[in-house]
Amino acid sequence: MQHRAIRPAARCAPFPHALSWALIALLLQPGAIATAGAPDFQLQQLAPGVFVHIGQQLALDAPGHDDIANIGFIVGTRCVAVIDTGGSVRIGRALLAAIRQRTRLPICYVINTHVHVDHVLGNAAFAPERPKFVGHAALTAALARSRDFFLQQYPEDLDQPPSAAQIIGPDITVDQTLELELGGRRLSLRAWPLAHTDCDLTVLDNGSGTLWTGDLLFRDRLPAVDGSASGWLRVLDELARLRVTRAVPGHGPIASDLSMALQPERRYLRALIDGVRDQLARGGSMQQAIAQVAAAEQPQWLLWDSTHARNVAHVYEQMEWQ
Amino acid sequence: MHAQSMSHAVPQARAAVLACLLLGLCGVASATGDGQTPSSGAWEYLQREFYPDRNLGLLDEHFMSLEAPANTPDPAATPLTLRFGDAAVGHIRQIRVIIDNNPSPVAATFDVASGARVAEIGLRVRIDRFTSVRAIAETTDGRFEMRSAWVNASGGCSAPPSTLTAGSLGEIRFRPSPDGRSMLISIRHPNNSGFQIDPRSGEPIAAHYVSHLRFSSDGRTLLQADTGISLSENPSLRIASDQPLPAPIAVDVIDSADAHFTGRWGGALAGNAAGSAAAGAGGTR
Repeated sequence: MQHRAIRPAARCAPFPHALSWALIALLLQPGAIATAGAPDFQLQQLAPGVFVHIGQQLALDAPGHDDIANIGFIVGTRCVAVIDTGGSVRIGRALLAAIRQRTRLPICYVINTHVHVDHVLGNAAFAPERPKFVGHAALTAALARSRDFFLQQYPEDLDQPPSAAQIIGPDITVDQTLELELGGRRLSLRAWPLAHTDCDLTVLDNGSGTLWTGDLLFRDRLPAVDGSASGWLRVLDELARLRVTRAVPGHGPIASDLSMALQPERRYLRALIDGVRDQLARGGSMQQAIAQVAAAEQPQWLLWDSTHARNVAHVYEQMEWQ
Repeated sequence: MHAQSMSHAVPQARAAVLACLLLGLCGVASATGDGQTPSSGAWEYLQREFYPDRNLGLLDEHFMSLEAPANTPDPAATPLTLRFGDAAVGHIRQIRVIIDNNPSPVAATFDVASGARVAEIGLRVRIDRFTSVRAIAETTDGRFEMRSAWVNASGGCSAPPSTLTAGSLGEIRFRPSPDGRSMLISIRHPNNSGFQIDPRSGEPIAAHYVSHLRFSSDGRTLLQADTGISLSENPSLRIASDQPLPAPIAVDVIDSADAHFTGRWGGALAGNAAGSAAAGAGGTR
């Protein structure tokens, strides 16, 4: 037992055997490993049967990058719907363990709000539960484009050995809207046109008035434009008209006033579009645009450096041909 | 959100030290403050090919500089800007842009017409993996100047084509700066690298790229370039001078399928028309 010397063992000393057996028991249960591996996995109950885990505001290459998105679940009388699964199978298992601490009902749906790694890589944790995976009609193709990238960039976030089969796409796709019945509660899913991505989906729990926006709403963390900034602004106009009790953003704190919560993101996207248009009108280079566009927004946002330049480049490449 | 870069600073530094020791480049590195980017097999080959027995010994950043983002905002369209100082403007004959670790490292070879006062060239390139990017200029008196930069990026050559639908193949747009000294030229072309996969069919997409560009005024060539698969989709060229650019300007483009496209700019400055004077594409084949 030489390796114990590297750890302070004072409190463990009286129960060495009991602890060893407990560890072995944990190691034999994949679900339990996840819980043990993520002891800080916190859940909030927003309304009866509506649970969310708030992700951390970290960069995508930071330690803990697999736990940056808001993910959660909704419990009906018949079954459970999961909304996004986190950025690793480990986080997906932590979510599954948290669900199992609260209900034994089957998980009938796993809904992905879009294609990004921090929202979908936990899907594989739910496969043994045999849910229907649900996503935007464009999610299947978006995942097909992303699988190699995920495997190359995030192999450690999958079960070993990493495989494309763990990156699970939808069984049920949503063209426009879809209603899902969980027993005593009905979810309204809505597919949106090109905005944050080309496969953004929102989930409204009608009973509690809780809208899961996916990454159509970033709070505090700088929004990442992977679709169309102008398309996104149009979607925000529609979202602002919805009457909901609360909104769960893709990143950042829960919003009680959706319309207000959309304002900072709207302001940034507007500054991005106006700034790039101005640069192009003056024949400015992409580098000049990156340095100057929307610079006044920087103090308002977290993780600016890793995302803003990409946003400007993306919008610049699009607007060059509008 | 996609992560796009990781720090490989340690191996990079180790490679630089090795290059320094093995190639005797230590003096160059310290003299220019620019030699930290590691050498590579590709560069050593290309150096023998293009610059045998040449001293690429350098002046300083005031003569020529290369601006490249250390962490690219888009691996498939990484912006590069070459700037020439007062002593260099009007005295550059040729510039090669080399991306060491790309499958086709020579991204572009620009030939500058005698007397053309080119102060800046901007372009956007694909970066396949972490690499040194170099610009080597030959002066009119036969000297060679090199600048290099390290770019953290991967996947630029195999990135799927954009889903952009605006514009048509071979369309060329002109966006002059308000002072008339620079021109942003945008060319609508897929510039397929040959390393891309069609995400719908899963089939490889054949290489189809802009192979030659000519920038002229009243029939007089000011600048031309041989280009290849390392240019980004919808290639962009930004040219600046220390004087107002001549007008009218024509840009002639030839691609790898031998299609010819021409765009013309009559001389209206930005502010008159909303941003740009568009020009039609010419005939093909």
